[in-house]
Amino acid sequence: MRSLEPLSQLDTAGVQLSIGPFRVRLRSDIVGVRTYLETVYTDFPITSETAAHFDIAIVSTAGWRQWMRPQANLVVNGVRPFLPLPEDLSGALFEWSLNWCVGDHAHRWVAIHAAVVERDGQAVVLSGVSGAGKSTLCAALVVAGWRLLSDEFALVDPQSGLLSPLPRPVSLKNQSISILKQRNPSGVFTPERIDIEGATFVHMKPPLASVRQAGEPARPGMIVFPRWTRDAATRLEPIPKAYALMRLAHQSFNYNYLGVRGYEAIAGMVGRTDCYTLEYSDLDDVIGRLASARTR
Amino acid sequence: MSRIDVALDYPMLARVLRDPSELSRLSAEEFSRTIDAADAARLLGWLLERCRERNLPLNPPRWLADRLVTADARARGYERALRWEINRLQRAFLGTGLTWILMKGAGYVAANLPPGNGRRVADIDIMVAERDLSRVEQLLNEHGWEIPEMHPYDTRYYREWMHELPAMVHRDRRSVLDVHHGILPKTSRLKPSPERLLAHSIVVNGLRVFCPAHMILQGAAHLFHDGDVAGAIRDLVDLDQLFREFGRDERFWPELVAETEALDLRRPAYYAVRYARLEFGTPVPAEPLRAIERWAPPSVVRYSMDSMVRRSIAASRRTAPVAAFGLWVRMHWGKMPALHLVRHLTRKSLMGGGRYH
Repeated sequence: MRSLEPLSQLDTAGVQLSIGPFRVRLRSDIVGVRTYLETVYTDFPITSETAAHFDIAIVSTAGWRQWMRPQANLVVNGVRPFLPLPEDLSGALFEWSLNWCVGDHAHRWVAIHAAVVERDGQAVVLSGVSGAGKSTLCAALVVAGWRLLSDEFALVDPQSGLLSPLPRPVSLKNQSISILKQRNPSGVFTPERIDIEGATFVHMKPPLASVRQAGEPARPGMIVFPRWTRDAATRLEPIPKAYALMRLAHQSFNYNYLGVRGYEAIAGMVGRTDCYTLEYSDLDDVIGRLASARTR
Repeated sequence: MSRIDVALDYPMLARVLRDPSELSRLSAEEFSRTIDAADAARLLGWLLERCRERNLPLNPPRWLADRLVTADARARGYERALRWEINRLQRAFLGTGLTWILMKGAGYVAANLPPGNGRRVADIDIMVAERDLSRVEQLLNEHGWEIPEMHPYDTRYYREWMHELPAMVHRDRRSVLDVHHGILPKTSRLKPSPERLLAHSIVVNGLRVFCPAHMILQGAAHLFHDGDVAGAIRDLVDLDQLFREFGRDERFWPELVAETEALDLRRPAYYAVRYARLEFGTPVPAEPLRAIERWAPPSVVRYSMDSMVRRSIAASRRTAPVAAFGLWVRMHWGKMPALHLVRHLTRKSLMGGGRYH
């Protein structure tokens, strides 16, 4: 475990966390934020430096509100992207603010809404709309020993065509929580909370090995669009590349900012990988199928 | 908010705006904060242009280099989005024979003027002849721009007193379009002739914009007579850039003096030149300057204006709203007869809503 000593200045000068390719400055006067970091960020480099890609502050509301209904306010690089949230969501608010930063302020990469895992040097990009089960599948693969690059972003480097890892705590919702707690009995999970849409969620601490490999990009080998369907037999079917390109472009957060560069990066990645749709209900079965499809 | 200071570093941005050579003296972290403040003030395109000219920052650390790549993509994204909206307007007006002029930011982008670089706008402004207004409104409706439902009082405020339609929003893209039929409200004391603005407009790259002198006068009237104070720094930077660009043609300054008198915009033009020179050292030839100086207000007015402008441009976030409020009242005073103003402000305060609107 690394030293968490710099956290003592979280509510003053702040700390700098190294998360994937990003230096993140975080300041917060909310104790929940510190507790959150001490639960799931213990393996990450934390220093007292102030330089940052993203300067994030999560601050409590001043005045009487603080006692009536404590709230957490988010400020990123001087602007407030969201309305305040109840203070018990302050840990998660850090993750959500990072998502916003990566989607809106990290245009060296093409940022695609997708989970990415890797084994034997080949990355699998799992892209799907929320609710399609990509996070659950990603978490199960990671617990089964695959390397976690990200449960939220495929960061395509337009120059190298490689995927930059952004290992972070994995977000789990509703039924996925008990499934993953069963599969990962020694795992560290944050306490259950209810998000603004009424879903129960937790964050699962990422594996130490994945965090240590955060500086090693991975070559995309497979692009998969998963969909969980009750009682379905596992079906992994190739799809036309043009279709995969359209779907990934649609799932990209910064495609509009990158213009031609974004198109070329996604087209390049699709051109060099095999693309599939995946229907599944049995996690063990699909993990086996992905392992064998990848080595084919 | 306890010991955590989250304010944007506007004082740093103001220093850089006054003297871009400051950029070479900034630490990496100061540079980073200047990027944030410039983006918030919608001056990111300006900042990046100054960085390119000077090849700065020198050997930035990786994180700052990443931030600059991001900033560049953002600025280009803003401009691309604006050009796309202009393209959609072109398509809507195609073959109708209607005359429409791109104003402000959209005009600078259309004419490839320096302030158009990496331009970020909240809304697009166009001007049409008042007699074409209902046809234009209908045409834009057919192409997806709609006026959202609003309070009947606000509708009347726009239709009777203002120089524009209520903002139109595109139903698919959610972009905002302001259709003007003048550059100042009908109730304003100054009444620049819309006919003259239309008659002198020019076509650049297939798009119609104001002639250089009118572009300046529109900007000056907007900044020193109309209500948009939030963008005050940016608007003055625009004017400085336009003065320098247009001033390369020796016919510009005499024309500006003549058009200022023709449109009766002496006071706003005086302020524009005064504050561009004071803040940014804008070069103005001696002869037109003498003519412009004659339009100065009484010294009492000038002193109070000086201090308000200086504070709203350079001040930190904590003191800026006070100065901004003073400017706002002054501008409304000019825009509406006193009785209207009292009625409007009373009505607005009872209806609630934004702090200054």
